[in-house]
Amino acid sequence: MTMMGKIVAVHSYKGGTGKTLISINLAAALAEHGKRVCLFDLDFRAPSLSTLLNVEKSECWLNDYLNGTCEIDKALLDLSDKIHNGGKLFVGLANPATEAIRDMSAKDRKWEMRALGRILALRTSLLNDKGFDYIIMDTSPGLQYSSINAIVSADLVLVATTFDRSDVDGTRRMLRELYDLFEKKTEVVLNKVLDASSKAGKEEITSKVNDVYQVPLLGIVPCFCDILKARGGVIFAQEKPDHPFTRILEEMAAKIDKMA
Amino acid sequence: MGQVSNEPVFVLTICFVNNYACVVRLNKLLLIYHNVGAKTDEEDALSNQEVVGKRPLQVLEKIRENLERLNEKIEVMIELQKHGRKDLQAPLSDAPLDVMTLLSMPDHLRKTAMTVCRMGRATAEEISEQTKRARAVESAYLNQLVIMGHLKKERDGRKAYFFVDRENQG
Repeated sequence: MTMMGKIVAVHSYKGGTGKTLISINLAAALAEHGKRVCLFDLDFRAPSLSTLLNVEKSECWLNDYLNGTCEIDKALLDLSDKIHNGGKLFVGLANPATEAIRDMSAKDRKWEMRALGRILALRTSLLNDKGFDYIIMDTSPGLQYSSINAIVSADLVLVATTFDRSDVDGTRRMLRELYDLFEKKTEVVLNKVLDASSKAGKEEITSKVNDVYQVPLLGIVPCFCDILKARGGVIFAQEKPDHPFTRILEEMAAKIDKMA
Repeated sequence: MGQVSNEPVFVLTICFVNNYACVVRLNKLLLIYHNVGAKTDEEDALSNQEVVGKRPLQVLEKIRENLERLNEKIEVMIELQKHGRKDLQAPLSDAPLDVMTLLSMPDHLRKTAMTVCRMGRATAEEISEQTKRARAVESAYLNQLVIMGHLKKERDGRKAYFFVDRENQG
């Protein structure tokens, strides 16, 4: 088995921790550095990438690919025209229609097993055959089938978390009872941090995260009012290259790129 | 006329499996070459050639295949004894290998099952290269997963391939 590209799953215990924000900006940051990236919305219960990217209709959704009714090529939208430095950014979207959400919620174990096979097959079809460098998978929070399918298929799992107490507890349990069982390389992204401006503050947070989760900390994302104001309408890594959030995402992308 | 042998052939073989020595007697192997009716000299010559050349080789190959299958069964039995048969609580003919099933598996089987999931279709040897465990151990785990209904097994010549039958389940 030759490992060419890398599959990164972005997951969390709770909703609202910033998975989609991190996924879309990480994908854009990697593409801006000349990488060929595929971004997938695997949150079939609450699809959001289609709204953020203003896509209302698609010839084929990721739902259709997992249902076995279309090839992956047809489920990919090319957004490379907004990317500089020769990078490529493709997205595969979850169907946001209520009927599609209801349909995906009613799938049985056998369907989920086939879906896992189709997600695993992306390594061959996209990374090996089409030469993509990265597949970034935005997942739904908690223990959902689609999320665990993504985790099983991934080379690296990024756990988006906050200092919210229930999130800390749940994330710690999930690290031990989910990622460890699948022997997945896992790194934490701490989001919405209030005091991360000073070096001492960052060191204290890093040490705290290492103590609590006992996995490496990939990055600390402070609470930015600009992100809240943008209401998901801005891809910072593309549109605001000088914003501090973009620089943090670029650092994270560089660290991921250096990983074996 | 060709020769007719209806004497049973007893083969005594010793298999070494995970440091267990097992004496196996294949007493059902009957080499019977029936030669019904009259044959021409040419047919006789061809038939004799078969007995002397090709057939014994086929028989030996069959013995070897049977011994390999027997080895696999013994490996499974040894593993089941080791784990107190806990892994085979409900043998199923078609048990989907979904992620929740993977999560509920004992660690040693999960590792094997996940490797098969990733590789698609592989032999015990190929799986053992990935898991860094002994081939015999992987063979036992793979056969357990087959018995549990999570994997399918098919032979291609002397090689046994294991895979998840995703398309034909359900």
